[in-house]
Amino acid sequence: MVKKSKLLTALDAQKGRDYEAEKRRKVQKQAEKKRRQKQEAKQETKDYVEEDGKTVNGVPSAEQLEKAAIQPSAAADDFEKFEDSEDGDKDDTEDQTTNGTIPQPENTADASASEAEQDSDVDYSDLEEEDREDVVPHQRMTINNGPALIASRKRVAIVSDKPKHPLHFHNSITSTDKTADELIPDAMDDETRELMFYKIARDATVQARDLLKKEKVPFTRPPDYFAEMAKNDDHMDKVKKKLYDEASSKKAANEARKLRDAKKFGKQVQLAKEQERSKEKRDTLNKIKELKRKRKDNDTGRVTEGDDLFQEVSVDNTSSTQKRDRSGALNAKRQKKDSKFGYGGKKRFSKSGTAESSADIRGFSAKRMKGKGKPASRPGKSRRAATRS
Amino acid sequence: MASIYKRASKAQAEQDDSDLSMSDAESSSTLQADGDDDSSDETSASDKDETQISENKLKQVPAELRNRILMLTSRGVSFRHRHLLTDLHSLLPHTYLDTKLDTKSNNNYNSALNSLADLHSCNYVFFLEARKQAQDLYLWLAKAPNGPTCKFHVAGIHTMAELGFGGNCLKGGRGVVVFDKSFDEMETGGGGKENLALIREMLRGVFCVPSKGVRGMKPFIDRVIGIYGLDNKIWVRIYEIREGSKDNISTPEEKKLSEGADVGSGVKLVEVGPRFILTPIVILEGSFGGPVIFENKLYVSPNLVRREVRLKKQAKYSQRTFDRTDRTRKIKDLGLNTGAEKKVGVVDDRVLFR
Repeated sequence: MVKKSKLLTALDAQKGRDYEAEKRRKVQKQAEKKRRQKQEAKQETKDYVEEDGKTVNGVPSAEQLEKAAIQPSAAADDFEKFEDSEDGDKDDTEDQTTNGTIPQPENTADASASEAEQDSDVDYSDLEEEDREDVVPHQRMTINNGPALIASRKRVAIVSDKPKHPLHFHNSITSTDKTADELIPDAMDDETRELMFYKIARDATVQARDLLKKEKVPFTRPPDYFAEMAKNDDHMDKVKKKLYDEASSKKAANEARKLRDAKKFGKQVQLAKEQERSKEKRDTLNKIKELKRKRKDNDTGRVTEGDDLFQEVSVDNTSSTQKRDRSGALNAKRQKKDSKFGYGGKKRFSKSGTAESSADIRGFSAKRMKGKGKPASRPGKSRRAATRS
Repeated sequence: MASIYKRASKAQAEQDDSDLSMSDAESSSTLQADGDDDSSDETSASDKDETQISENKLKQVPAELRNRILMLTSRGVSFRHRHLLTDLHSLLPHTYLDTKLDTKSNNNYNSALNSLADLHSCNYVFFLEARKQAQDLYLWLAKAPNGPTCKFHVAGIHTMAELGFGGNCLKGGRGVVVFDKSFDEMETGGGGKENLALIREMLRGVFCVPSKGVRGMKPFIDRVIGIYGLDNKIWVRIYEIREGSKDNISTPEEKKLSEGADVGSGVKLVEVGPRFILTPIVILEGSFGGPVIFENKLYVSPNLVRREVRLKKQAKYSQRTFDRTDRTRKIKDLGLNTGAEKKVGVVDDRVLFR
């Protein structure tokens, strides 16, 4: 049984309205009607069977057509009659599971409950199969009782127009910036959202400060005002420490990255430099060996690592290159031997028997060949003594 | 206890001097006014009060601003929810923090809460209820005797203890409460948005500290409570006001904002307090009872959300098993079976558990 408010039941009693009785009567009427229609339908089918013999060559007779015409209209009537009853099923089809009892309407104290729902309610199980498909699906109406909300607000309101209190009584204002929905297109975007919240709050704070200053209310907290704060000092220290740690770790990471990059770059530079130096060393050593080979022919057996070897550092390579160019093809054997034993191997006398060395005529002097010249005569004893003293 | 409110409201209506001084002295016993100086001032200036009603210096706080909030939780709240409540209690001086309400022994906490509010002479009830083993948190905000009740779903809770919040504010300060433009009188005048106006007034009752009669109140204003309506939810943020020099732009937000317009005269905000998101579910006309006057169409209960996730996973698995059997059948139909039977070991399930 639904609990109705006492006032409403009293009113009903006064008027003499008995909802239960009315419902019962309506249901009875519906049931009777259905029974009548069922019987009629049965009779009609019987008629069809009887009159089957009357068809002429398969074409149905006029009578049968009429009968057929009547059928859908009768069915339409059926549906029309059911429509009113099906309205009442709106909020009952959900509750109807296995209950065969007559459904009750919802609490009528609800301002939003429609009157139609109190009227005829037919059991879903009483409807025939084909009619069940026609039942309007139940849509639960969400409640938004505007007048009641406004009335409640007026009762509760802190800031209202009638007794217009100055701002410092309640310290509450509404922002004049655009709404948050306009400023923040996507609520999931944390950065923009917090930024816009901040913006709205800050603009409003500036406004509030001006208004409160006019009302001569102290606003700014002086820096030397000490009082109990919402968070204690230990906590604030922790916060500061966390900020500091974050900043310093970032800095350290940055510096480490820079060092790494610099090291990489430096390594490349070093490599290049080393290569250059080794190349230089190689070149100079080669030149030295060239010189050694050349000088050796002049001084047999004595390879002085004196200064005259280094005097001609800028040895022209033209002779050797020319030699090669001219006799490249002819002296293949010589070339091979050169390449095999060139610049390395024996330190001394390695190029003693090369073609170049044997073809080298610089050391020859015709005079010496022709005859051994008199050695320079040694001066007499007296001349030697004179020079000495 | 309720009689005190009646007397006080009568005094507000009549504004007689004798009643004024009397009611003030009596109310001071329950609401604990700021020391004895106030009462002595009032008795001497009571004669002037009649003529100065419309002026700023109204000695007595008007009835609608004389609020006291009863804050409590249900059993089975998590540490985060508890901290949220204690944070709000430390920030708002006109609150009374009560012990946990035992909701398991008695499912109907309508009468229990109303009687508790009456006992402690509070006219607002801020009740946090946790369900499903502290997975979901609901806030019931009601005006005690017969006022409306709002039920919210609370999400996105960050408490003051988190190290990401750099600001700090006075424990008993008053603060400015800022509402987003979507709570504006114009916007909420009609067209299905009246619920926002009601919620706005109730949140004002919670966050606006009365100017007198509250123990432990400090004079300066150093915090802003921002309440925004975004995406059909209510977002709450609490900032500390720092007024520095004009070129004091060190927070990243200030940097971004100063790129656009000019900085608003050196006022800087740093987030201090708890932050949370409220989703209105239902508004009842009475205090923890009565007819429903607003239902939020767009609210999806967290149970449904979890159910959807589970069903999706379920669908995946059942689809996979179906596909497997489907595949064997398809292969058989197409005659792609090579005919070679799979070798089964001796300890295979198919052999042992025939």
